[in-house]
Amino acid sequence: MNILVISTLGDMLLGSAIGISVVFIALACLVIIFEFIQRMSINASKKRMLKAGKKDHEVVHTSGDDVVAISVALHLFLNSVHDEESNILTIKHNDKRYSPWSSKIYGLNNFQR
Amino acid sequence: MNKVNIKFIFIAIILAFLMPEGLLAQAATENHTVLESLQGFWVNTGFSNFEFKYLIMIGVGLIFIYLGIAKHWEPLLLIPIGFGILVGNIPFTEGYRIGIYEDGSVLNILYSGVISGWYPPLIFLGIGAMTDFSALISNPKLMLLGAAAQVGIFLTFLGAYELGFTPTEAGAIGIIGGADGPTAIFLSSRLAPHLMGAIAIAAYSYMALVPVIQPPVMNLLTTKKEKLIRMKPPRMVTKFEKIIFPIIGMLLTTFISPSALPLLGMLFFGNLLKESGVTERLADTARYALINIITILLGLTVGASTQADKFLTVNSMKIFALGAFSFVIATASGVLFAKILNLFLKKENKINPLIGAAGVSAVPDSARVAQEQGLKVDKNNHLLMHAMGPNVAGVIGSAVAAGILLSMLS
Repeated sequence: MNILVISTLGDMLLGSAIGISVVFIALACLVIIFEFIQRMSINASKKRMLKAGKKDHEVVHTSGDDVVAISVALHLFLNSVHDEESNILTIKHNDKRYSPWSSKIYGLNNFQR
Repeated sequence: MNKVNIKFIFIAIILAFLMPEGLLAQAATENHTVLESLQGFWVNTGFSNFEFKYLIMIGVGLIFIYLGIAKHWEPLLLIPIGFGILVGNIPFTEGYRIGIYEDGSVLNILYSGVISGWYPPLIFLGIGAMTDFSALISNPKLMLLGAAAQVGIFLTFLGAYELGFTPTEAGAIGIIGGADGPTAIFLSSRLAPHLMGAIAIAAYSYMALVPVIQPPVMNLLTTKKEKLIRMKPPRMVTKFEKIIFPIIGMLLTTFISPSALPLLGMLFFGNLLKESGVTERLADTARYALINIITILLGLTVGASTQADKFLTVNSMKIFALGAFSFVIATASGVLFAKILNLFLKKENKINPLIGAAGVSAVPDSARVAQEQGLKVDKNNHLLMHAMGPNVAGVIGSAVAAGILLSMLS
């Protein structure tokens, strides 16, 4: 699968130049496609707005600061909500469990007295 | 003296008489004496096989663990790697299938995922399922910053060749500049498996040191006026755009660089699982359970692969020096390219050059560094969202670069 047979510094330089160019080309293609999709998407949303009876200048653009403030407020509100509980109180009798940890029956020094 | 004590004494006397006789009888049949067995045991201990270089590596492992716990520098990577270094540097006698380089040992089986390169694509699957590409989709030209930062890879490639490495070794070392651990492991496993331990350790160490390496370079290359540039807030991205991005991204990048298919295919697949909205269970597994399991195995085995006798070499030192160089170059090229882009952009569309440094794909540390540097000059200038664009573009860019190096050199 070798594209270049690399044996000298000149080959290395050529390989590097090709390599970085390909990286740029790959990402530049993505840029072009997504700039195009972005325009289509904005145009489509404008058309939807117009259909809904709103004029373009009526569309409110929310700034980043506003988005941050709203997000923080929502986060604080949602985190401050207490868990929902059933509000039913029960008194459950808890039997003392049998535990042989201190039982003299099982002791090693169970001498006859 | 009661009856019980008498019983104990009687049993002890019988044992004292019988045991050595039994042992000696057994040893005699196997033509061994007890002393010889003890000597064999001693020869197999870590103390007997100890050399000073193991102590150095154990020290390195402890430093990694310390940095992970005390300084919180990439703890998810440094702690498994640090402990792996301890595991890999316990001296032992070869031949008992203990070491990571001994065929059939447990560590060797776990290490196969690194050697055959199937851990990194699974890590990429998890990264894809975690990553939100909205910042990139809303301002696609930021992808070019991710491409610019890959200059570091190719300059390090040249530098490594000049320092005496072969072209394949130089390619594997160059990828450290991509600041992407899984990509570095993937490429070095294919091009220079014998250098993989050093390359992986260098890549992960410098990724953890991003907050230390990048700021001086960023400050050197930007003026205060440039740091104050406020960028337009990113627009809302539609669900359609988010779904179409991994599909187009995969098709386009892998058609250009098919060798990057294992990495990019998994990255974009993971992202589609996330964005499709109908495979939440699969996305959850990829972003939590799967990536956590692979990170544990990858970190531990990469750490354990740094066995002192194979790791402490002059070449490893050269790789560490080249790694630092590549990070500096990658950061500088990202920042400088942002400044060049600004020459062609309208005033309201200008880019804050600090986010160019996020083009090295150490996600999300380099984006965080851009944010912190921006806040130092203007407390209300939040660059994090903008920096995430070049940051994730850097992941794509470094995977494409790895694919190109692989197809050129393998």
